Amino acid sequence: MPAHALPDESSDLPGSFAPGIHALQAPSMPDVVRRFRWVAADIGATAFGLYTLGPAVERTRLVACFDSDYPGVSAFTRALSDGPAGEIARHARASTQPCWWAEGPAAGAQAAFQTLAWARPVAQPVPGTAGIAFPVHADRGHCGLAIFIGADIALDDNGLCDVHARCFSLFGAVARLRLNEPGHHRAMSKRELECLRLTANGYTSEEIARALKLSVHTANQYLTQSAQKLNAVSRTQAVAKALRLGLIE
Amino acid sequence: MRTDSGLPEKMTATAAQLCPDTLATRLASRGDLTAFLMQLAAEIGADSYMLVATVPSQARSNARIVASNWIFDTIELIGRRLIAALAQGPHTAAPGMPALPLLTAEAPAAGGVVTGEEARLLDVLGHAEIYALQLDVGRQRLFMLFSAEKAGSIDQTGLTRAQLKSCYALSQTPQLVTDTAAQDTLSERERECLFWVSEGKTTDEVAVILGVSANTVNSYITHAMQKLSASNRPMAIATAMRNGII
Repeated sequence: MPAHALPDESSDLPGSFAPGIHALQAPSMPDVVRRFRWVAADIGATAFGLYTLGPAVERTRLVACFDSDYPGVSAFTRALSDGPAGEIARHARASTQPCWWAEGPAAGAQAAFQTLAWARPVAQPVPGTAGIAFPVHADRGHCGLAIFIGADIALDDNGLCDVHARCFSLFGAVARLRLNEPGHHRAMSKRELECLRLTANGYTSEEIARALKLSVHTANQYLTQSAQKLNAVSRTQAVAKALRLGLIE
Repeated sequence: MRTDSGLPEKMTATAAQLCPDTLATRLASRGDLTAFLMQLAAEIGADSYMLVATVPSQARSNARIVASNWIFDTIELIGRRLIAALAQGPHTAAPGMPALPLLTAEAPAAGGVVTGEEARLLDVLGHAEIYALQLDVGRQRLFMLFSAEKAGSIDQTGLTRAQLKSCYALSQTPQLVTDTAAQDTLSERERECLFWVSEGKTTDEVAVILGVSANTVNSYITHAMQKLSASNRPMAIATAMRNGII
């Protein structure tokens, strides 16, 4: 009997939602935090936090979107965002596997986490805690970590997938909320993005002009404008920045 | 990171005996990945799977098929461009989002990505319903197509779990997913030069940073461009970034 045929008991709990029913069309930040609190309650976590990864590849910092003390900031978040996040942030960039850590070698939480086939152990990001972190991704290259803290977190392999799906969905909602914040970035026009995309695919200005039926000057103008909007010094850097921001694929 | 260089390329477990979760601990080789995907497809009631990386080429994207149990003729008949379009179609579900099937019998009417002729072909060849799932493997993005001969046979709740388990499995075996042709051959110096160029540095600036002459920097970049089969610097940077080299 495959385990997935069993009814998903977490979806019967108040306020939780099956990943298939997307109830987050236009949520506000407090809505997202509330939903996150339900996820934490479902798995028996005492604290939680959602973090985005800073842009630096080396010595990445974790920036809190919110944590269990919302609208305040928890001590865990303060300890976590104090310095570079180290192994846990490197892991999130390279892998989607959840990772866990325990208080000490003999802690009870470790036994529960060790039965998880898909999760792997990671170095303690904050001393004296036990928890599990789910790497999450959203459009435009947003990368983050959903972290649950607690010595008595209970999860099985299917529960792990379900919680991770909910984290993905909530992180997507946060990323969309941020996108709508005014003045976040100067909007790129469709033509500018098109020119950047073709440049990334090896087109020269002349070839772009031919493909888009523009004059060479116009194509160059679009590329100059997009480089300015991205704060880039050259079109090569503009391509790199646009790729990092997920503006082009 | 695990490498499988020391292991023989064979299945260390047979698909019939183990569930995907048990296979998780042993994923190391290409054969293990196949066994895992076959078992995963069987578990959710799908007949076929196809793991696709989309490759931007010229104006439209193309598909690089990483793993698949589709018959060869189907792939040849419908073509890689259509596969790329299916993978990145309007129904494609990101993790945590609801997955909607592409029913090939109704596809042309719905104004989808396939024409009537292509839909009929897919239907006849055993892909009556197709689910397209987006896989986030670290910062890399891939696509999975699960399809069944009979519409309605794929279990939708299992699908979300299968989607995440695929992400996990591919995270464990990154060497099987990336386009290794380019990655292995770039030298550390070439990679470094590309990185600084992507940060907007000019040749002269890179030369100062690395403590070599500008001619040497240009030669590193030219070599890197050849290895990445890029025609100019922006394309070399883009290819390197897409493959996770810088």
